[in-house]
Amino acid sequence: SSPKTGQSRNAILVSHRQKGNPLLKHIRNVRWSFADVICDYLLGQNSCALYLSLRYHLLHPDYLYYRIRELQKNYKLRVVLCHVDVEDVVKPLLEVTKTALLHDCTLLCAWSLEECGRYLETIKMYENKPADLIQGQMDTDYLSRLTHTLTTVRHVNKTDVVTLGSTFGSLSNIMDASMEDLARCPGIGERKVKRLYDTFHEPFKRVI
Amino acid sequence: MVQFHEHIITDLLEDPAGGLVILSSGLSLPKLLSSLLLLHHPSQGTLLILSTSPSLKSQILYHLKTHHHYSPENHQITEITAELPSHYRLSLYSSGQICFITPRILIVDLLTNKIPVTSLSGLILLNVHSLSETSTEAFIARIVKTLTQSIYIRAFTDKPQAMVAGFSKTERILKSLYIKKLHLWPRFQVYVSEELERAPPEVVDVRVPMTKYMVGIQKAIVEVMDACLKEIRKTNKVDVEDLTVENGLFKSFDEIVRRQLDPIWHILGKKTKQLVSDLKTLRKLLDYLVRYDAVSYLKYLDTLRVSESFRSVWIFAESSFKIFDYAKKRVYRLARSNDAKVNEPSKSTSGKKRKLKRDDDNEEKVVDGASSTGKNGGVILEEVLEAAPKWKVLREILEEIEEERQKQALPREDLVESEEVDSGIVVVACKDECSCMQLEDFIANGPQKVLREEWQKYLLSKVELRGLPMPQKKKPKPRESKGFGILDGVVPVTATHNAEPTSVNKLEHDALFAAASEIRNQCRRDYIVEDEPQVLVDSKRQKGRGKGQNKRGQRKNAQNSGNKVDDANNKVAASDKPEISSSEHKGQTADNDSAVTDGYPENKLKGAREILRRHTQQPGFSYSNVKQIPPVYFYAQESDQPILDILKPSVIIVYHPDMTFVREIEVYKAENPSKNLKVYFLFYEDSTEVQKFEASISRENGAFESLIRQKSLMMIPVDQNANSLGLNSSMESQPSSSQNSITRRAGGRKEVEKEMQVIVDMREFMSSLPNVLHQKGMRIIPVTLEVGDYILSPLICVERKSIQDLFMSFTSGRLYHQVETMVCYYRIPVLLIEFSQDKCFSFQSASDIGEDVTPTSIISKLSLLVMHFPRLRIIWSRSLHATAEIFASLKANQDEPDEAKSIRIGVPSEEGIVENDVRAENYNTSAVEFLRRLPGVTDSNYRAIMDGCKSLSELALLPVERLTELMGGQKAARTLRDFLDAKYPTLL
Repeated sequence: SSPKTGQSRNAILVSHRQKGNPLLKHIRNVRWSFADVICDYLLGQNSCALYLSLRYHLLHPDYLYYRIRELQKNYKLRVVLCHVDVEDVVKPLLEVTKTALLHDCTLLCAWSLEECGRYLETIKMYENKPADLIQGQMDTDYLSRLTHTLTTVRHVNKTDVVTLGSTFGSLSNIMDASMEDLARCPGIGERKVKRLYDTFHEPFKRVI
Repeated sequence: MVQFHEHIITDLLEDPAGGLVILSSGLSLPKLLSSLLLLHHPSQGTLLILSTSPSLKSQILYHLKTHHHYSPENHQITEITAELPSHYRLSLYSSGQICFITPRILIVDLLTNKIPVTSLSGLILLNVHSLSETSTEAFIARIVKTLTQSIYIRAFTDKPQAMVAGFSKTERILKSLYIKKLHLWPRFQVYVSEELERAPPEVVDVRVPMTKYMVGIQKAIVEVMDACLKEIRKTNKVDVEDLTVENGLFKSFDEIVRRQLDPIWHILGKKTKQLVSDLKTLRKLLDYLVRYDAVSYLKYLDTLRVSESFRSVWIFAESSFKIFDYAKKRVYRLARSNDAKVNEPSKSTSGKKRKLKRDDDNEEKVVDGASSTGKNGGVILEEVLEAAPKWKVLREILEEIEEERQKQALPREDLVESEEVDSGIVVVACKDECSCMQLEDFIANGPQKVLREEWQKYLLSKVELRGLPMPQKKKPKPRESKGFGILDGVVPVTATHNAEPTSVNKLEHDALFAAASEIRNQCRRDYIVEDEPQVLVDSKRQKGRGKGQNKRGQRKNAQNSGNKVDDANNKVAASDKPEISSSEHKGQTADNDSAVTDGYPENKLKGAREILRRHTQQPGFSYSNVKQIPPVYFYAQESDQPILDILKPSVIIVYHPDMTFVREIEVYKAENPSKNLKVYFLFYEDSTEVQKFEASISRENGAFESLIRQKSLMMIPVDQNANSLGLNSSMESQPSSSQNSITRRAGGRKEVEKEMQVIVDMREFMSSLPNVLHQKGMRIIPVTLEVGDYILSPLICVERKSIQDLFMSFTSGRLYHQVETMVCYYRIPVLLIEFSQDKCFSFQSASDIGEDVTPTSIISKLSLLVMHFPRLRIIWSRSLHATAEIFASLKANQDEPDEAKSIRIGVPSEEGIVENDVRAENYNTSAVEFLRRLPGVTDSNYRAIMDGCKSLSELALLPVERLTELMGGQKAARTLRDFLDAKYPTLL
């Protein structure tokens, strides 16, 4: 909403309030510059972040609320970046959580300044990134796919996948293996055999 | 019934409120329980048994039904499952019967008021060692005790070691279950030891020396373990005292390390984590060394090399080279075929060929196989196939037993009639089913045959890789250097050991390959011959039938096992294998009845081949005719069958010594004092097996001593009951007068003028959060939710993720979709990230964050999620209790959620067309998850697949055409079919 020059579009705009925050040292993968912005960090056209140290919150419990109110409704994504820097977190975190949640802010917790910096960097860098990274696309090579599939069965590990694969030759053979054949695989004990067998042979829907 | 069981029961019954019994393992808990159940009478009310394991359940049932006081009408036992319609469940709850039930069903029914609590007489909780204060069982105990004081709670475990893990675990469990009395029954208790030692069985302790290579491997493994331990110590994160190789032999070692590292586990560096898992691997290797035959062991090592990531420290440790090397030497060695030797090896190969030919009548001459071996650049593979030393000893013992018997039989002939059913069976107890089958095979066919079969399988599993071009172009490159490279038989780092030029490995490679392809060629022919009668489509239906037959046969076997066994001549007794339908078993039946073959098509090719071989072997192969051996039953300790009571053996050979089983033998002897019982123990001399056995006993004793100490210091309030002992003391419980009498009102709190309600998904009762929320005074409404896990208000919907879940569901993409739907239906969709109390509150240590923004980091994933769903709110919770507090404060100004509405949300459409509410437990969840991960399967077609075929095994057989119909597209169907049928790359 605030006017932007072409140069500053690729950089995080940092409020003057943040001057002296050691966090700035840890923003290294993205450029940043000071600017007149209401939020602490302007991360993109519609996204911004407020920085809050829990220790500070303990001293000034109302601070967060006023800062959020200042933002008004200008941003789609409003992050409260909470630096967890106290030992006894339960109570302050409860307050911060409640404030953020009821005032439409997304709470992100970080336990070190490096981590705080990394969140800011990431959000900036991924500004236009599609979500396929978290949509479940994974390595496409056969072995990782097979591992990915077979490890849905509890306690089946990578070694077991190799054992099963090399014993039966293909996934369809594994899925159709008898209990006894499964039991013959080294490293696959009674319980795993039962789990595997049930997964493959029990019907998807248990009909009453 | 042994007398000390009577003592235990009398002690336990003294307190009508219940008690906790901790028993030494092996002192026959199932028998104790069944004796206790016999005292139940329907007039007392319904008795519910919780948290049983399937094997425990079946043992209890067995003992109960064979007991002479058993009466079907008084001791009827039912199992309450989710499949039973609710009105039927209700009638069971008030029937006065004994019911097995899962905690999840019970808690849901309690919360929805489906149980007339007054008609319950008590609860029996098993496997108490796995409980904690927040587990569902504790939740149940609390609700039940608030409703009525008259119900007793009796809890049992036979894992004393697990009861001393953690800080005053036993005391906390006692409190959370509202139990005042603790009963300890160690093996060294006076009554127990007196009775068991009155007439001990005759024991023969056989020490078998290990082979040179086995000793070498064992030594090397211990060295590597030691090296790993040293590394762990360097990290300075664990208490050094417990870290000894001796402790490293036990599973509990992981617990020791984990307990120390758990609080900081997820911020530990990769290296430390790797070390911990390496130690686990090494322990397994040590264990398998004495359990598996040489070939299987080598095979296992090979799989480890493929699957262990290159990060594994142990693989690179110096001594680990020896492990691999010795393991290989136990199986084969390479010989250079200089002039003098040329003939000898070729003779050995031809010898092998001859044997193979005998195995298969249909086999033709293998000409090309021989030439390929010969061509092999002067290196020839010689089979060593070292047999396990115990095998030979086992055979000798068996022969000896038989000889003795025959000697005795002569003078005693007249007595035979009067002697009670002595089946004459010798029970050989092994650890697992796998060794059972192998030993059975060995006894029938001799060691070389068994090993050779394994060897062939081993080679076969290796051969295909070479035949196939690598499937990808760019991927394999890094792989090659990391995972597969190691496979070449050289461990890269150990270059120092590797004095010989690498070309030798190449040669070895080739030799293996040649041998393998030779065998493959034979097998191809096997396949062609034997594959024909198989009709794929039929196999499904027949499978069911085959199983049924097996079961029937089994029962028959059990009834007259006595007679039947006598019939079995020199062959292994046709024994009943209750659980596993083994082809071994079938093989034996097939000896008598050749028609059986088509009754068991489930064996597919391999099984069929085995049967065929057996047929062809019979006349020619005479190993088992050398000397007579008595009928043998191989028992897998894993399978937990009440085998001693079924077979009543007079000779037991403990092939893999195990404390629990030894105790079982003692109990069995005590119950049959008149019986002559002889027990052989087979130990490998100077092996870790011995150490392990002895240490397991002293560890258990130690656990009991500590429990006895703890018991003397315990602070259990005299009037322990639900009202006085809610964990949250500010809470005052009183039966609410409103529609729900179960939940309690929290008095004296501002925000609790109205009763808070939370709608909870049924599946969430696996976790402890509902329990804690209830403790906080909220009313829990269990329903099946399509969207979200907890509904706090009409606006707020929460998806809960533990840290581990979070990482996993990011990878699988599940979280993305869950959030997507939540965002659709709720104004405030919330992701709850729940840390656990005893673990460190953070994702990773600062040092692990790294220099760059990487797509795999959890920070990146979370950022992406947040950016794509700016409306998503996140709760970071320190612990269960913190979560409960956050929930309470969030609900403070919100309306209560609407049950009926929440159920409907997300079901088919927003218009509220409710499909007939399919309940979660009606799905085979792991199968569904498995299905959804298969390539080609998407969110839009997986339901159709589930409608169109019954199970995964059925899916595995569907042709592309049918898949196309189900999946609504040929491309997807092709992808799936190809993936299912893709040849697994072999190990060579």
